[in-house]
Amino acid sequence: MRLVYRGAEADVFLGQWCGGRAIFKTRKPLDYRLPELDMAIRSQRTVREAQMIHLAKKAGVSSPFLFYVSAPESLLVMQFIEGERLKSVLDSSPPKEAASLSEEFGREVARLHRAGIMHGDLTTSNVIVNDGGLYLIDFGLSVRTSRIEDQAVDLRLIKETLVGAHNPRSKLLMSSLLDGYSSLLGKEKALQARRKLVEIERRGRYARVE
Amino acid sequence: MRASLRVVGIESTAHTFSVSVVSDSRGVLSNAKDVYLPPEGSGIHPIDAATHHASVAARVVSDALQESRVDSGEVDAFAYAMGPGLGPCLRVGAVVARTLALSTGKPLVPVNHAVGHIELGCLLTGAKAPLVLLISGGHTMVVFHASGGWRVLGETLDLTLGQLLDQLGRHVGYASPCGPRIEAAARRSKKFLALPYTVKGNDVSFSGVLTAAKRLLQAGAAFEDVCYSVQETAFAITTEVTERALAFTGSRDLMVVGGVAANRRLATMLRTMAKRHSARVHVVPLAYSGDCGAQIAWTGLLAFRSGVSVPVSESTVRQSWRLDTVPTPWR
Repeated sequence: MRLVYRGAEADVFLGQWCGGRAIFKTRKPLDYRLPELDMAIRSQRTVREAQMIHLAKKAGVSSPFLFYVSAPESLLVMQFIEGERLKSVLDSSPPKEAASLSEEFGREVARLHRAGIMHGDLTTSNVIVNDGGLYLIDFGLSVRTSRIEDQAVDLRLIKETLVGAHNPRSKLLMSSLLDGYSSLLGKEKALQARRKLVEIERRGRYARVE
Repeated sequence: MRASLRVVGIESTAHTFSVSVVSDSRGVLSNAKDVYLPPEGSGIHPIDAATHHASVAARVVSDALQESRVDSGEVDAFAYAMGPGLGPCLRVGAVVARTLALSTGKPLVPVNHAVGHIELGCLLTGAKAPLVLLISGGHTMVVFHASGGWRVLGETLDLTLGQLLDQLGRHVGYASPCGPRIEAAARRSKKFLALPYTVKGNDVSFSGVLTAAKRLLQAGAAFEDVCYSVQETAFAITTEVTERALAFTGSRDLMVVGGVAANRRLATMLRTMAKRHSARVHVVPLAYSGDCGAQIAWTGLLAFRSGVSVPVSESTVRQSWRLDTVPTPWR
């Protein structure tokens, strides 16, 4: 097994499962947290991630197939998706291509929200670009919800990531994303979520939202 | 070109009135301060704090100049904290700075208080472009520098860490800042009581922790057990989002700055976490991690050197002024 990614809470390995390549994602004990708190969080997120990937797939969102789940070991085994993270693709692509990827990302998010799922961690690191399209991964913070507030929190994190990590292009990328988002979700619902996003930003500390 | 540039900085965003002199060749030359202490059980009343600042201003200015052995005529620019902060307090600092600038005929330089924390931290720790965890009464933010400014990667959606600790402390009659007394109480306990653990992507929320902690106290839980549990929960949440940002940016340097950086339990958690990512942790020295004039003076010097200044007639204060809207031409 080979370590492919050391994330904040999980280590991701590439290994073999039933004769094919597979991703092994383990949430390692985090020794800065109290053991009892740590154990509860890890097993809860592992189970939740499995449930949410399942729901997302049912809703037609591209995400990996699950092979194996173990809550006590905080382990998930799933399909290996070849490709690059959206984070690096956005930076290395010409503006037009980046914008169209962002639009497609918006449509995937809309698909999730339409199915009553809040991803909870929609950074550009959690999207894989594959020849066939975009795949969403890392559902550990996902929640079943249809509240506009929660959908807006998803959009807010995307915006925060775009402004924080892809700043020179963030306006273009965000507007393309919202185009994709409303094309699938419908203008009315998308507008509600965007209004809520502004409201959440205004609640932020020292915020002045133009 | 002159051998040395000297800038005076005035901090007055909240409870601290502080004046510092810095030079580009010798760093911080003085850092005089006088801190407003609210009565037991209360927080900072903006008017009372501003009254305090006005009454100590002249003495703190002259202390800072004397200690630095710099005459006000030798100062190249006067920097002041334009925001964010409490309106009445900010105005006192601005008036003092304008007075000094007018009487000496030297330029006035507006500084963002939060950017000040970060730039002074970089000077003192030697970190060049670290991932920054800014934790104080006013801020709880994970920040890093990209494309001409400090960018926010994650932040609190409601209370700051400082407010969480202060409001818990005031609930039992302490005066702000309550962090040190809560830390001391927490050290007497090992009994963990479950509290809401809210991480939303890279953002955090502490309002649920505070409400649940108050309910536990009302139901008769021991204060030290509640302090212990609040620290363990809130600091784990903070460490987790910091870890996310560290993984996301791939940064190898983490700098911790702001009043809450003084908490030893939090520093331990951050160090333990950073080890996993082979990242160095730079904690800003205690004397400079809280609010101080040096953060304004040093950032004022950097800004002034890059051509930033404001005419006195156009100088204002901004109670709300996010650090991610401040251009950093010196970087």
